Amino acid sequence: MSSTTARIVIAVSASAAIWLIANLIVAQGRTHWTRFATLRLGIGGLLFGIILSGNRIISGSGTIEIATERNGDTSWVTTGGWSERLVAWIWFPLLAMVAFAVCGAFMSMREARTQRTIIGAIGLGAVAGFGGALVRAEFRPAIDGVALAIAVVVVAGLGAAIATLRRRDTISGALTGAAIGWIVGAWGAPELGTGSAAWSTIALAVPGALFGIRAARPDAPDDAGRDRMDRRSRAFIFLGPALLFVTTNLVVPALRTLYLSLFDRDSEEFIGLDNYRTIFTDPKAWDTSTWREMFSSQLMWLGVALLGLFIILGIRGKRRTGRVIELGSASSGPLLGAVVLIGFAVFTTVRGTIVNNLWWVLVVTLFSTSLGLAIAVLADGLKGERIAKSLIFMPMAVSLVGASVIWRFMYIARDSAKTQTGVFNSLWVALGRLSTGDGLPTLIIGVIVTVIFGLLLVSIARNLTRGEPGRAAAPAVFAILVGWFLIRYWKITGTGVGGHRIKDDGSIVAQPINFIQDPPFNNFWLMIVLVWIQTGFAMVILSAAIRAVPTELIEAAKVDGATDSQVFWRVTLPQIGTTIGVVVTAIIVLVMKVFDIVKVMTNGNFGTEVLANNMFREAFSFGDTGIGAALAMLIFISVVPIMFLNIRRMQRES
Amino acid sequence: MSDIAVHTHGSGPIERIYATLRRVPTIVLWFIVIVWSLPSLSVFINSWRTRDAQRSRSWWTTKPDELTLDNYESIFNSTTSGGLGNSLLNSMAISLPATIIPISIAAFAAYGFAWIDFKGRKGLFIAVVSLLAIPLQVALIPLLQLYVNGAHLTLPWLDKTITIIPDFNLVNTTTAVWLTHTGFAMPFAIFLLHNYISSLPRDLFEAARIDGADHFTIFWRLVLPLSIPVLAAFAIFQFLWTWNDYLIANTMAGTNPDAIPTTILIANLAGDFGMNEHLLPAAAFVQAFVPLVVFFSLQRYFVRGILAGSVKG
Repeated sequence: MSSTTARIVIAVSASAAIWLIANLIVAQGRTHWTRFATLRLGIGGLLFGIILSGNRIISGSGTIEIATERNGDTSWVTTGGWSERLVAWIWFPLLAMVAFAVCGAFMSMREARTQRTIIGAIGLGAVAGFGGALVRAEFRPAIDGVALAIAVVVVAGLGAAIATLRRRDTISGALTGAAIGWIVGAWGAPELGTGSAAWSTIALAVPGALFGIRAARPDAPDDAGRDRMDRRSRAFIFLGPALLFVTTNLVVPALRTLYLSLFDRDSEEFIGLDNYRTIFTDPKAWDTSTWREMFSSQLMWLGVALLGLFIILGIRGKRRTGRVIELGSASSGPLLGAVVLIGFAVFTTVRGTIVNNLWWVLVVTLFSTSLGLAIAVLADGLKGERIAKSLIFMPMAVSLVGASVIWRFMYIARDSAKTQTGVFNSLWVALGRLSTGDGLPTLIIGVIVTVIFGLLLVSIARNLTRGEPGRAAAPAVFAILVGWFLIRYWKITGTGVGGHRIKDDGSIVAQPINFIQDPPFNNFWLMIVLVWIQTGFAMVILSAAIRAVPTELIEAAKVDGATDSQVFWRVTLPQIGTTIGVVVTAIIVLVMKVFDIVKVMTNGNFGTEVLANNMFREAFSFGDTGIGAALAMLIFISVVPIMFLNIRRMQRES
Repeated sequence: MSDIAVHTHGSGPIERIYATLRRVPTIVLWFIVIVWSLPSLSVFINSWRTRDAQRSRSWWTTKPDELTLDNYESIFNSTTSGGLGNSLLNSMAISLPATIIPISIAAFAAYGFAWIDFKGRKGLFIAVVSLLAIPLQVALIPLLQLYVNGAHLTLPWLDKTITIIPDFNLVNTTTAVWLTHTGFAMPFAIFLLHNYISSLPRDLFEAARIDGADHFTIFWRLVLPLSIPVLAAFAIFQFLWTWNDYLIANTMAGTNPDAIPTTILIANLAGDFGMNEHLLPAAAFVQAFVPLVVFFSLQRYFVRGILAGSVKG
């Protein structure tokens, strides 16, 4: 552990040091040209030496023994104490650095190109050739003239072409290309370990000389040239680390996932789009066998009833204001209710992984956004606003794993004989006891609810007689719910509400709900956990937006006689429309990737599987890389359109 | 509901009821607040109760004699829970580098994109920001393979395999976790910091250039001190994100008990049904303690970070 930590600390500080040194060296370029040229070539030499020495390619870089063989790879270990090893390792890089630096210094001091070329070619060629002569027998290449010629010509041509296209010196490009081509052709093509020391010397000396000639070509730049070079190198230094991380950790892995998703489980056989086909034809993802049941579900009928109400109110509204739906109009509430209920009816009958994800999107997005908006509006300007908002926002700080654990304790279901220790089941069982009992509490609660029902009816009647049936819609919806509750509570039909069960012998026992394990609604209870977290997020963003609505607008509306609710629906809400869009898209993207809650609470069992958990299980538990990668791509594809909109909006803003 | 309360004319018993209904919004708000706090409260109270009390009696009936410190003692001491102390250290070993390193690297890049003139700057910036769209699931499988095996490329035709990145044996270490976090943080961090750094006044930079300052000096002496608010916002966002992360840690270090952060420890505790359930509240509270401290002490920055983070993919 400690040695790992030490190694990481060394690696991180070394990276930081390299970054700083790079900046310092580039800074020399503008003021001290000779020093800069010396340092530049010196570092080139050091890198060259490190490649040879670090890979133990040259003799004298330490005694080598074959330590272990695993997976057919040989790992090399040098022997001796660490100081001995360090000296054996470092002497060649240091030598190369000094030699290259000297060449660099001399070259930068010569005005004539021919002189520079001679110094460069001989100096760099000699040092590189010396390295080549030291190459261990097992690495010496037997040069294949044809392959070498082809490689040199092709890569040199490529270099020249690139240089021409970038409007740089064509010959320089060709020289660089020739050197690289020589290395590839001499070291890459033939079998290593069959050649002689002469071959390995030539194989390194020639590219060294070519690089020397290349380095000798440009004259010392003028001020503008140095400025240009400074900008270019700085851009490279400042962006390099970030681009490196982005490439290795994001771009390449993402492309590789796409590639892996087209192969079988062990990534050996190319199977085209079969993984995607498997996912979509698997009934676990997409089970429509019971779709007819949705028409017999109560949710569907309630939803259809609300849809009917919406149509009636919509037609009225159209006659009056010319619009079928309007923010805050009586018709929008029933429409929203209908969408939710019909959605629930569909999602509880058509089951599967992908269906669950869509259900999550519907519930979490809708509930979090609307609740967050409601709280933002309710709390605006109230006493204790800050405390209330803090408490509602607090779950954002808790991890999703922590939130799942917290909610487990809310959802606990104990045996019916024991005390319920979870809040929900405690209430549910207590309600069952109230409803089936006949004591004073039963009566009191019943009367209170009945009075509320009466008040709702009065409100409906008042609004109807006043000729404003639109205003009666909201109380009517509540009246239906409360009325349904009362019918059950007073046992007009059924045996009462709440968690109870009547046994065969007529005795009544408590019947808790197993919130986490009873499908299909256990999905909904898992979603509540995310709603609990995301409501605070929606609230904070929306209340900031509400506060940003210009007060003149609101005051103008009030002067014109608008009521509070009219101000909200007609002025505030349209003003914060884009912010609501931001909240909704952010939550959708988050929900499409939901993983932690499902993993911790059910691990996808009991019909709660979602894409991200399925991907994790397939890829890391079952070892099916192909399907796992394909599922990852599906998540990617499902968020891309939303993210595309998001990024476009962000760029418009900034 | 507020619809009911709005229209009142005249006076009478019904009007008086409506006057009460006017207060409904406040009541509703505080009702929601109470409901929202209940889950955390229940776990917090349960964490101080004995195993027996947790299992047989509801937390809102807690009596003084049920209270105990045993849960906290056993999560830190006992080996059955895997040792919360060790996993707290691991969480730190992940979160600190995963916050500091991306912030510095992204600050360089953001400055480069904003104030260093080079060809293809705009295109490159858009490309980097577009990477926000990549959900982290997409990169997990190859990254794990990279940490297990290193990266090797088999050259076509030549039939030779060259090693691009050697196998550093990083799998199941905290290093693998924060390296992954660093990569994923990059597009968002660059985007956020670039927005801020590019909006600094141009005159400032020109004056510094005339005084002979190079890019490094300007960055170090001028841009970094001026960008502290946005750096703080990102740091808090990233710290909480990495502290609370479960997916990446579970993928990269999930099977090594010595390298797991607190989130995995708690998820594992929750996984072995029954046995250690009475320790869960205490463990969950300890895990949430650090983010809650950050939340309550730095709420302003926290909110700013969350607001900014809403665009993260």
